[in-house]
Amino acid sequence: MADGSPESPGVDAVRHCIEAALPFKALTGGTLDALAQAAECIDLFAGEVLYEAGSAADCLYIVEFGVLRLEPIAKTGHPAASAVMRPGQAFGWIALAEQGLRRNRAVAVTPARLLRLCGSLILNLVRADPAVGRMSLEDLRAVLQAIQLSPGRDAVPGHAASPVGSVVKKPAAIEIGLFRVAQWFRSPAPYMMLLGYALLLGFWYLSVQVLKLPRFAQMPGLTAVLHEWFSKNPTYGVSIYTPVYYQHILVSLRRIGIAFALATGLGVPVGLMLGWSRVFKDYVFPLFEMLRPIPILAWVPLAIIMLPGSELPIIYLTFLASFFATALNTMLGVRSIDASYALAAECLGASRWQIFLHVVVPGALPFIFTGLQISVGVAWFSLVAAEMISGQFGLGYLINTSYTTVEYPTLVIAMFTLGIVGYLSSSLVRLAGMWLMSWRTRHLALGELR
Amino acid sequence: MSATAGAARGALKINDAVKLYEPSGARVLAVDHCSLDIRPGEICMIVGPSGCGKTSLLNAIAGFHGLDGGSIHLDGRMLCGPGHPQADVGPDRIVVFQNGALFPWKTTLENIAFGPIMQRRMTKRTAYETARRMMADAGLSGHEYEYPGEISSGLRRRVEILRALMNDPSVLLLDEPYRALDALTKSVMHEALLETHYRTGTTIFFITHDLEEAIFLGHRVVVMTARPCRPKQVVEIDIPHPRDYGVLTSRRFRELAAEISAVLEEEALKSFTRGEKEGGVQ
Repeated sequence: MADGSPESPGVDAVRHCIEAALPFKALTGGTLDALAQAAECIDLFAGEVLYEAGSAADCLYIVEFGVLRLEPIAKTGHPAASAVMRPGQAFGWIALAEQGLRRNRAVAVTPARLLRLCGSLILNLVRADPAVGRMSLEDLRAVLQAIQLSPGRDAVPGHAASPVGSVVKKPAAIEIGLFRVAQWFRSPAPYMMLLGYALLLGFWYLSVQVLKLPRFAQMPGLTAVLHEWFSKNPTYGVSIYTPVYYQHILVSLRRIGIAFALATGLGVPVGLMLGWSRVFKDYVFPLFEMLRPIPILAWVPLAIIMLPGSELPIIYLTFLASFFATALNTMLGVRSIDASYALAAECLGASRWQIFLHVVVPGALPFIFTGLQISVGVAWFSLVAAEMISGQFGLGYLINTSYTTVEYPTLVIAMFTLGIVGYLSSSLVRLAGMWLMSWRTRHLALGELR
Repeated sequence: MSATAGAARGALKINDAVKLYEPSGARVLAVDHCSLDIRPGEICMIVGPSGCGKTSLLNAIAGFHGLDGGSIHLDGRMLCGPGHPQADVGPDRIVVFQNGALFPWKTTLENIAFGPIMQRRMTKRTAYETARRMMADAGLSGHEYEYPGEISSGLRRRVEILRALMNDPSVLLLDEPYRALDALTKSVMHEALLETHYRTGTTIFFITHDLEEAIFLGHRVVVMTARPCRPKQVVEIDIPHPRDYGVLTSRRFRELAAEISAVLEEEALKSFTRGEKEGGVQ
């Protein structure tokens, strides 16, 4: 894990891993090298069993990456907790106790890579090491016994591991989130992302300002837009230093907020009912399916005729698109729930209403949140369409006016702002979903799908 | 949760049960004049070829669907029969499903406490306390706040059985609960199930394909005929309880296995040559 070459972890990396994980602090370089040479690499799939309880224990393992779980086979009456092994931790110590049997079973929770060290080899090398030479076999046994009696039994955390202890407490969704962010920075993803942006901006810069391609002559250049955007004194009156910029954003956000809240508040219940009640579905679904394909732009005239002012038609149009996406996904979510959950709940004495609350709603949540993410997206889409047609403020309005008044840099600023705000709003929905479905995020974070 | 009170309960009397299906116009007889007496506190193992209609029988007992003839009584009370073809679903007969039906959005503790809370038989607090005690008794402490997606499939099955037992049911209806488990986990499950049974005395109606499982767990093994389903032979397993895995290598075990597999094979062959689809009748 330490260096990013998973194909062939160099001997140095292996050596480092061993040094960090083994409790013998005073091993000499030679011994470490010998151990590093002898270590074998094994890869496990998620869910693969490394060893079963009761099998012969002859090897010690160090987690290079991935997560493993040690599950004690509970003898009835004894409380038994399972331990989670993370990168840097070593387990399977019983291998050093000579001819022991595994007390628990080790299963990979995520795809994992382990270093395997033969127990007798470690014993021999450690005993031969001048630094620990004084340590008699009995001392070693005592050390091992202390390890065995520690809470994780067959496991101790290495020096490199987090101070959590071997019985790992439940990670909260937030911790998983942070863990993921940290992982993300260690992966090539952020650099690829930057490269992606650089490609787009580079293409823009080249085609408009350097090559001056024929159709791009009218386009505002990259530097012009950036200059305008971050200028204290913008040529066309809109930059991050002008209040009017934020007013456009706020007006759009307010419309999105109201429309999205309405669409969620109505769409989720309607979708739940569509999925849950046959009668309701028979009445409503054909109508729903007929209205759904009508494009939002087709609704514009009616919306303006029906509703007073310019604010209400915009909110109405934005709401409409969101509503259909939310309701449809919620309905699909209800129908995706395995029938046995409802049967089981019925067996356990739940009433129809209780089944609705405890099975249908939580069971549909993953789909509901997929629907909500689509719904924020289409909300922005129809908002801009609506704002371009009527309205006084808003990013869509800004795009339209800057087009008609040939203030092209402002137009591009509004577009980018839309992109950023849209991205943020759908991330917000995603976060809300993760928070509400911690059962699912945790489950996914552990990489195990049934 | 009353520890041994279950022993006197759970007598299941199936009388002349008939179940028909008309999936695509054609009539299929799934269960045909099936009669079976299950003794209170017994582990009754039902074996039979795939798709023979065992699950139809279980569903009729649970009340998931009705019968087209005959009756089922539980401790003298009619569940279904003339005039009331479909039994009411209720917590006195709890099904443990083949693929497991723990609610993935509830922790194991919440799952186990679900029944009494829904029935308003216990306050949330007592239900959680009882559930926690039950988990401790079964040696599952430490997993209370984990979600089903985070624990092994073997553990999930055990939690699901605890969830059923939490309601003090008269009968547990198990539909191949250990089918998807590997052999080693399965053996651990078997011992845990027997241990739980000795503790609670709940009657168990257990459908399986696994002959070894049937003989190891059951007081009796009922071999069903190929569709339509009807008991072909009832074999009393005279290996004394409590049993442990040593039983598997005993001579008596092998004799019984040979006897039952001979009967079973005949039916399986019949079903196979007719080309019946597994799970064709749900």
